[in-house]
Amino acid sequence: MTDVMGSGAISYTPTVIADQLISELNSDATSQATLEQQLSSGDMINQPSDNPAGTADLLQLNAALARTQQYAANATDGSGWLSLGNSTMNQIMSALQQAQQTVLSVTGASLASEPGELQGLAAQMSSIRSELINLANTTYGGQAIFAGTGNVSQAYDQNGNYVGGGSAPTRTVAPGVQVAVGTTGDEIFGSGSTGLLGSTGVLAQIVADLQTGTPASLAQVQGADAQALSSAVAQVSGQAAQMGADYQRMQAFAEQATNTEQVLQGQVSGIDSTNVAQVSTELTEAQNTYQSALWATSQLSQASLVQFLA
Amino acid sequence: MGDLALNIAASGLDAQQTAMDTISENLTNANTAGYVSESAQLTANPGGDLLGVGDGVRVVAVTQNADNLLATNALQSQGVLAQTTALQQILQGAQAVFPEPGSAGISADLSSFWQSWDAISQDPSNAAPRTEVVDQAENLVSDFQQAAGQLNNLQDNAQAQVTQSVTEANTELAQVANLNQKITTTEGSGAPANSLIDQRNQILGQLANNIGAVGVVQPDGTLNVDVGGVTLVQGSWSDTITTTGGAGDMSLVAQASGVTIPTSAGSVAGQLAAVNQYLPGYQSQLDEAADDLASTVNTQLAAGYTATGTSGAGLPLFQGTGAAGLSVNASIVANPELIAASSTGALPDATNNGANAQAMAELFNVTGGPDEQYQSLIQNLGSQVQAVNNQVQAQTSVANAATENLQSIEGVNTNDQMVQMLTYQQAFQASAKLVSTVDTMMQALIQAS
Repeated sequence: MTDVMGSGAISYTPTVIADQLISELNSDATSQATLEQQLSSGDMINQPSDNPAGTADLLQLNAALARTQQYAANATDGSGWLSLGNSTMNQIMSALQQAQQTVLSVTGASLASEPGELQGLAAQMSSIRSELINLANTTYGGQAIFAGTGNVSQAYDQNGNYVGGGSAPTRTVAPGVQVAVGTTGDEIFGSGSTGLLGSTGVLAQIVADLQTGTPASLAQVQGADAQALSSAVAQVSGQAAQMGADYQRMQAFAEQATNTEQVLQGQVSGIDSTNVAQVSTELTEAQNTYQSALWATSQLSQASLVQFLA
Repeated sequence: MGDLALNIAASGLDAQQTAMDTISENLTNANTAGYVSESAQLTANPGGDLLGVGDGVRVVAVTQNADNLLATNALQSQGVLAQTTALQQILQGAQAVFPEPGSAGISADLSSFWQSWDAISQDPSNAAPRTEVVDQAENLVSDFQQAAGQLNNLQDNAQAQVTQSVTEANTELAQVANLNQKITTTEGSGAPANSLIDQRNQILGQLANNIGAVGVVQPDGTLNVDVGGVTLVQGSWSDTITTTGGAGDMSLVAQASGVTIPTSAGSVAGQLAAVNQYLPGYQSQLDEAADDLASTVNTQLAAGYTATGTSGAGLPLFQGTGAAGLSVNASIVANPELIAASSTGALPDATNNGANAQAMAELFNVTGGPDEQYQSLIQNLGSQVQAVNNQVQAQTSVANAATENLQSIEGVNTNDQMVQMLTYQQAFQASAKLVSTVDTMMQALIQAS
């Protein structure tokens, strides 16, 4: 209520008093409605004019929040790829170790006299090679994980030739930060017919040498072939380690995105959330004022000299 | 002796009765808008006998307790209040076009649009995320078109309000001219024209609210009405106002002189400000945001390639200009494969490449992008609504104070009138008592003789 008693110069006609009461009732009702909206919506800013600068901040924060949630989703998707990549790499490593065992079992020239066993070993190596080709074509949600961006469904054809692209896909996990989800097959196994999986590659060579079965070819298996195989294994295990590190990195970014999300949520509620204690106190005050104004209005018709004149 | 005393007493009875009539008139008009309280001016009649006793009392005139300065003040502050209130109504309508901050606003939809590009990059050869991007783009287009359409409706309504106000004002101007003539005639015949003046004041009040008119009372009792320095009523002559132009350049013209009428008060001034300045401003900021969206997205796409290695330069996602003209490229809607999601055109690397879509998602807060432009529109709109809200609040107090000041002079104070009523009543009773006393005195004289 404005100070009615303060300005003595004005003579208060009933019309003036009525107008003042109407104006007070309206403004009290408006402030009460604003406070009630803040309480019921839980938001301090219900329209831009409530706090123009705060609204602009809020729009920016909400956009950043949505983006951060997307970073978290990207990192989760990337972790899925890398997690599958890691377990595939483990299977590849154990298949290669099996191949190394097989090569090691070819000791001395004595095997040259047992062609049946040699054929068995050759068949074993051959199946390891096809198993590796299968593993190299592992897919995540229909996409071959070792094909880079160059092929949707497979990284190697049946002959062990690389048919994928030159670069691995990435995921955006923080502003301006892209992390590769794994690596391309040619980095792991090499490409073309001379690659690890190729038709003239180490594995195929070992199969051929075992099938030839001469002491010279068996010496080849133990010597040059074994050496080539172990350098290929070193290459694969280097890539496996790299992929493990990428997975850790992706997990770290996922965690970071979640933390950022919480910080942004905090900022949003700092700007927008209703301070319930404060607003309810203000609402109580506003209700009291409104009731006083209503009471004053109810007294309006009583105070006049007319009542006292007989 | 008896003659004079009776005459004096009779003049007293007459005068007090007239004064009582004014009290009665005042009390019955206590709630009449524009009514100016009256008071009876009593004066002693000049002396009638040799000793200079005097010749009783008479009512010289019944005058209005008018205060022109306060009245002008109250009119002007009411005019400014009407201006800010009219602007407030329109701007609040504009604010309601944009449900921000919230999940239904353009801002939230822009966010969803940008995020949908990352889904393409996660599975570039899958049709579903591409269709999702197209859906989000169509959603944004309909957001922009709706907002533009609603702003356009507001613009049309505001112009219709101006026309409506002008039509009312023209009727009122003619009424003032008509009353001026009646007042001149009435006063020319020697009779007071108080009730006609009250009526004229009431119409002037409406004119002040409508077009910010100012009244100047002339020595001959007529009222000139000016708006922004252009005289629209002079004596019994009145001009007609017409409107010209549309959004951005609408104005009022005095028909007789062809002069443009500057408006600085009254609801028309607020409506014209919205028509010429505020609403076109919002519309152009919204258009800019839509154009920024199209250019940001299309430029990024132009740097990319489809899965088959076709350059994205000829495959924009958005077409058209302005918020109302924005549309999604029909060939992309028909075949979302044409979204240039790859960062390279070289095969086979383009086949399952989503790097360009990935780069697109990062443009959500790019400088000069649609988000930035839209946020500045919202902040601008919010600030202007907040400012006009504050102005209305402040101007309401100013106008109330001015009206109170005026009412305390011109209005009817019931208590005041009651006290005066008692005074006149007692004076009337005293005069009546005098008549009976003189009568007793005359009786005594007659019986004694």
